[in-house]
Amino acid sequence: MSFVFGLISGGAVLSWFHPEIFTNTTEFSYLKLSIAGFLVGYGTVIAKGCTSGHGVCGLSRLSKRSLVAVLIFMSTGMLTASLIHFWGVKF
Amino acid sequence: MNSKKNFIAFFSGLLFATGLGISGMTQPQKVIAFLDLVGTWDPSLMFVMGGALMVHFISYRIIKKWRRPIVEESWHIPTTTKITKPLIFGSLLFGIGWGLSGFCPGPAIVSLGTGSLKAIIMVCAINLGIGLGTMGENNG
Repeated sequence: MSFVFGLISGGAVLSWFHPEIFTNTTEFSYLKLSIAGFLVGYGTVIAKGCTSGHGVCGLSRLSKRSLVAVLIFMSTGMLTASLIHFWGVKF
Repeated sequence: MNSKKNFIAFFSGLLFATGLGISGMTQPQKVIAFLDLVGTWDPSLMFVMGGALMVHFISYRIIKKWRRPIVEESWHIPTTTKITKPLIFGSLLFGIGWGLSGFCPGPAIVSLGTGSLKAIIMVCAINLGIGLGTMGENNG
């Protein structure tokens, strides 16, 4: 909990001095963000890790599980972002 | 002891937030530009993960030699090695959500500090996903 509080406080302090690092030029609908957020949260719990957990901590421990996780979420992430751009889907 | 633990956790959060912010992870359009291979690809974020990996690869090996952690009795290191269906399925969903929004959990939580509505909605939805996922795990 203190860690999360640190993350949010860090965000607040940073945005005070350097608001530009929080520029969000995406025009995603709240529906899209909600769907994406749900997938990110659900996926993190089920796979027991995210970009930090599997990507940074897991890979540097040379965990095979993390390597599989990173390869999969990098691929599906790239595929999703690329297809959306390719098809010109906006929502 | 507990306040020391909280202080270290808080400080780690601050440090992690700063790193994510400076490296560009809190700008979803930058993350999307990294994931989007159609058009002009921006590979710069690869160096963020690469850099973090280098630091943790070395520091993990040094710290593991300590008898015990500074604020815990023992280490908490994952011991599972099996490639399971939930690992694959969860990573798959995580990637889709990440590719849709350009947000992963850390940067989304850091962005909460700006009061941005987009970040608030994202984190609420992440929590909903975490809640349902945890419930499913407890029942299964």
